[in-house]
Amino acid sequence: MNKMVNKLWTRIFIVAAAVLLLLFFSNDFGLIDIQETAIVVALGIDAAQEGEGYDVTAQIAVPASTGTSSAGNVTVKGVQTVGEAVAELNHETGWYPTLVHCRLILLGEEVANEDVFNVLDYFLRNDAVEDSCLVAACKGKARETFQAQSPVGDISASAITKVLSSEAQATGIVTVTILKNFAVGYYSESESGFLPCITVKQEADSQGGQNADGAFAPAGAFGKENAPYALSLAPSIKRNKWWRAKKRPLPIAAPVSAEGGNQGSGGQGGSGKSGSGSSADVFHASETMLFYKGKRVALLTPEETLAYNLAATDTDYAYGSVDVSENGEQTSYNLKMKISKKKRKLTFENGMPVFTFTIRANARIADTDKSQPIIDVAKTLLVNETILRAAEEKFQSELASLWQKATNAGCDLFFLKEKLHRFHYKRYAEFKDGVPEIVQVRYDIKFTSMK
Amino acid sequence: MDNMKVRQICFYFIAMMPVVRFLVYPATLSYNSSNDLLFSAFINLLLEGAAVALVMLLAKKTKLSLFGLIENTFGKISAKIVYALFALFFLAAALLPMMEQKNFVLLVMYENVPSVISFAPFFFVCLFACVKGFKSIGRMADIALPVFAIAFVALILLALPQTDFSALLPIAGVPIKDVLKGSLFSANWYTEAAFLLFFLGNFEYEKRAALKVISSYAIGSAAVLLFLAVFYGVFSDIAIRQYNAVAQISKYTTSFTSLGRVDYLFIFALALVMIFRLCVPAQMCVHCICKAIGCKPFIPALAVNALLLALTIFLNYSFLEVQTLFTQKLWLMFLIFAYALPAAALLLKKRRRAG
Amino acid sequence: MSFAYTLCEMKKLGKKCKDNVKLIKSILTSEDILVFAFETADGAACAAVYADGMTDKALLGEQIARPLSAKEAPASAEDAAKLLQAPEIKTESDLTKLADEVLSGNTVLFIDGVNEALVAGMKKLSMRAIMEPPGAVAVKGPREGFIEDLKTNMSLVRNRLRTPKLQFKTLTAGKQSKTMIAVGYLEGIADENIVSEIVKKIESIDIDGIPDSSYVGKFLAERPDSLFKPTGTTEKPDVLAAKMLEGRVAVLVDGSPIALTLPYLLVEDFQGAQDYFVSPYRASISRLLRFLGVFVSIFLPAFYVAAQLFKLQILPLSFLLTISGSTQGIPLSPSLELFFLLLVLEILIEASVRMPKYVALALSVIGALVLGDTAVKAGIVSSSAIIITALSGISAYTVPDLVGTTSILRIAFVVVAGSIGTYGVILMTALVLYYLVTSDAYGVPMLAPFSPLVRRDLKDSLMKTSMYSLDKRPKTFKTKNETRLQSGKKEPKNG
Repeated sequence: MNKMVNKLWTRIFIVAAAVLLLLFFSNDFGLIDIQETAIVVALGIDAAQEGEGYDVTAQIAVPASTGTSSAGNVTVKGVQTVGEAVAELNHETGWYPTLVHCRLILLGEEVANEDVFNVLDYFLRNDAVEDSCLVAACKGKARETFQAQSPVGDISASAITKVLSSEAQATGIVTVTILKNFAVGYYSESESGFLPCITVKQEADSQGGQNADGAFAPAGAFGKENAPYALSLAPSIKRNKWWRAKKRPLPIAAPVSAEGGNQGSGGQGGSGKSGSGSSADVFHASETMLFYKGKRVALLTPEETLAYNLAATDTDYAYGSVDVSENGEQTSYNLKMKISKKKRKLTFENGMPVFTFTIRANARIADTDKSQPIIDVAKTLLVNETILRAAEEKFQSELASLWQKATNAGCDLFFLKEKLHRFHYKRYAEFKDGVPEIVQVRYDIKFTSMK
Repeated sequence: MDNMKVRQICFYFIAMMPVVRFLVYPATLSYNSSNDLLFSAFINLLLEGAAVALVMLLAKKTKLSLFGLIENTFGKISAKIVYALFALFFLAAALLPMMEQKNFVLLVMYENVPSVISFAPFFFVCLFACVKGFKSIGRMADIALPVFAIAFVALILLALPQTDFSALLPIAGVPIKDVLKGSLFSANWYTEAAFLLFFLGNFEYEKRAALKVISSYAIGSAAVLLFLAVFYGVFSDIAIRQYNAVAQISKYTTSFTSLGRVDYLFIFALALVMIFRLCVPAQMCVHCICKAIGCKPFIPALAVNALLLALTIFLNYSFLEVQTLFTQKLWLMFLIFAYALPAAALLLKKRRRAG
Repeated sequence: MSFAYTLCEMKKLGKKCKDNVKLIKSILTSEDILVFAFETADGAACAAVYADGMTDKALLGEQIARPLSAKEAPASAEDAAKLLQAPEIKTESDLTKLADEVLSGNTVLFIDGVNEALVAGMKKLSMRAIMEPPGAVAVKGPREGFIEDLKTNMSLVRNRLRTPKLQFKTLTAGKQSKTMIAVGYLEGIADENIVSEIVKKIESIDIDGIPDSSYVGKFLAERPDSLFKPTGTTEKPDVLAAKMLEGRVAVLVDGSPIALTLPYLLVEDFQGAQDYFVSPYRASISRLLRFLGVFVSIFLPAFYVAAQLFKLQILPLSFLLTISGSTQGIPLSPSLELFFLLLVLEILIEASVRMPKYVALALSVIGALVLGDTAVKAGIVSSSAIIITALSGISAYTVPDLVGTTSILRIAFVVVAGSIGTYGVILMTALVLYYLVTSDAYGVPMLAPFSPLVRRDLKDSLMKTSMYSLDKRPKTFKTKNETRLQSGKKEPKNG
């Protein structure tokens, strides 16, 4: 009996093996042909140039036989949905697009004027696209942003993802959002969210007068009046290139394809600019777009972005400049701040909601704009009280500014409504419509020096 | 001989029991119970734990199998009828998890939408497992434990940086009715006590076996609750969209690393354990048929797997309907077979009649 | 069976030496069966029958002919045995058995007036020296290996286990070859049931000849069609002794330098002799590397194929672009490409094993450089596929005893991966595991100590702990005497 069962199993295995071999050698059962697959690394979505709908630009990585890669942009114009555009990509290019490696969704400025989830809906529904991809908005058109290039030889989507890396977030320069987190905010009680705002600038422009269009606020932007001291929490770019580079520890400019003409040379829907210009481009992401119910409602300046990061995100160290009046003379100090504690708490006092920012940071002088005696240079870890208080005050003013901006725009940037729902559920019904407007804000900010 | 060890049953509860609750269950629970999903799950776990404890109490008192116990009390024909009914129950209990895994496999392991045939080889493995009997369940539990432990811990650790446990607040913010509905409508994921009932007589009760098994069940339950908490902490308000929870929670940490989606390694490892677990109801079904009609397992195994394959293909586009049927309509059946009958088995005569 | 042979079985030995010689010569008709005739001091005829080339003639003259010719003819076989100076003497009257003794190199002595024959052990075979087996080279540790002679092999084992508890049961199998098989075990340590089962199986072997121990292995297998080895094997007496001390049973076959050990556990192929001579940390790392090697060898090509055909997401983007770049213009799909490369690898291995040594070197150069490099340059295969194949091929040799199984599994997994994808690989893994966990041989599970879990035996499995903690023999073998180290777990204290 046992022998018979063994024989039976052997026969079953032989049949199974034969079926498998048939499948294997027939080689035609809907598998991926890597040579006909377009690996989409980024998608840009703009409002249609003509009529309603959208223009969707896919940045497709083009592998070279050497293993290095470049990218091509393909734009599908005038589609009603993103899904339609993805299907269209296949028809127009003959390549089957795979979005599993899509790491960036870039929304054009006009798309952000309406509910962005009109277009992001596709990515939430579709399992082929990971909701771990980065989402950003850009000034102007996403298509044009993808066409930017720089001389180092990277593709633009990759350059933008580097700008939006978690390391950049850790230094407070940019606010980084992935699709999942953006969607969680959108569907939460607060219905709010934020996206980094990408701007492309010619490298030559950005190296010199960086603040031409307000993309970067000047160091003195916060206290340009006659205040005795002023703090710029944004990296100071007051002096020279070396100074700027030092204060921007991460690459903010990344190159795009060196394969000139490849960028934007895509398919029939193709984009205009070939990207073969000789000057390189730099991506800035230090501004932050605020959203309420999916619509853009405000724009945070780089200083406000940094303040927000220091108060609310994973940022644990940052550089900021503070101007202090010393002996009737303005001295600018650049401080390196290490956040040791950050807390945002919603409490109730006398029946009214109070929101308290508690921030503790350690500061040291990284630089000044004046030469100082060697003994002061040697004591660079020690920051005097005047400078510390100036830093605290400036940080507070920036936080107040961004709070005001967000509240006025209706954006619940600090997710107070959600906090109210989670931590004060009993009072939720009472205050849900008044938050965050009626909330009293308190700042408990303390900067200390090494001792 | 279909012998198992108490240790293997413990490992089963720690490693194989939780995996079947890592796919659609968290999203379904989020739909019904929202952020109070842990309470819904806890109610089910408590009930099932109680049933498990009662079965172990029964195991302490008798060396007979369930068949022997029923035969002792009601006679052989009754035993055969009960086994036939349980065979039908196990067949039903096998279907939804299989369809869940089919969807999981087709979505997570393939990029082009493959045909359902890609899932069909599962039934070949299941056929093999069915023929091998309970011994293979025990032995596989031994293999599954380290695989599960490593993969589960790794996935949870990868998910933790993205987890905001405050999403589970406010506690009791969801009406109790919804929490209970969540429990009731997820009864189909709680069939372990029924499995344990059929292990009776196939393992030797050793000292403190009941304590060991119940502790193991508690560990497995803790794993389920932790998973649910992390899952809801990661997704909060969009949790109901995440059908294949186990493949979703850890991707946010790995997506942008230079190694890429290393979490897939652990997801695949858990998929392997899921295969072992999915075979169990089919194995139980075959065991019941063999006992009911008194035959060798090969033919029933072939029939059961062919039927399950046919149902999977036939219901390929009706997952939601099947899910609704099993969760919202057939919950009573699951309550009876998975909770009530294992508990009622304690009332059966535990010693053979003299003569 | 020949007619003469059958006829002789019916005839009995007489008292006449001449007649007896005739009788045995009627069976052993070959020309290399010689008869050495001489007389005792009182003129009684004696004849020594032996096989030319298999018997030590000097010993024959020294220990048999000289003492007999100096004395008067003995009255009985017992008296004759006392006269002879050979240490290995027995009497025999069955003609068939006498013929077998001659064929196995012993000398059969007939004396006038004695109706029984004397058998003197004077076997002298030309055999190779005891040397280090090429398949089990040890950097540290004993270097002697088994040879083709059973008795030498038995002596090598006994030399390492000088205990009266070491038992050998000698059996004969093979209708034509009459091959001697020794079943060795340590009394009180090995499971007697397993010993008797093995003996029973060997006794029931009904085959013409047994050229090698692997033949016996096939008959001892409980699952003859299995992809996995039925028995453990070793060419080294130190390894065999160690395995016997754990409770295994050894099967030595005359004419084969490879000893079989039973019951076989899969994990024993991951254990090397050297692991016991180096530090436990080094041994544990080695074992983990071997495990990783086998894992990589089987799964790497499969996942490479599945990732490219079904799930690009498994591959990091940069790696995907590299692969995608290197596969441009390759005429074969990734699955077929790897399938054929693995076949080529197997062909190269087969050829290099069978080829004369001086050509093998040239062949490996041709195989590695010319074939691989040119194929990539010609755009027939991609460089990444070559790397995967090479890595898989090399990794398999971390556990040489499993190479056969690994290479079959590797190809099977590639076929499954190319047909069903990642899920196919997982299903196949489940199938293999189901098979392995339910494979018990001689009542011992093949996948022990992992499944069923035997915690005590884990100390010497994928990890190896110190000698002091290995105080008990593996529980898996159900030995009666479990204690291996009396001062178990008590490490000597210094100072």
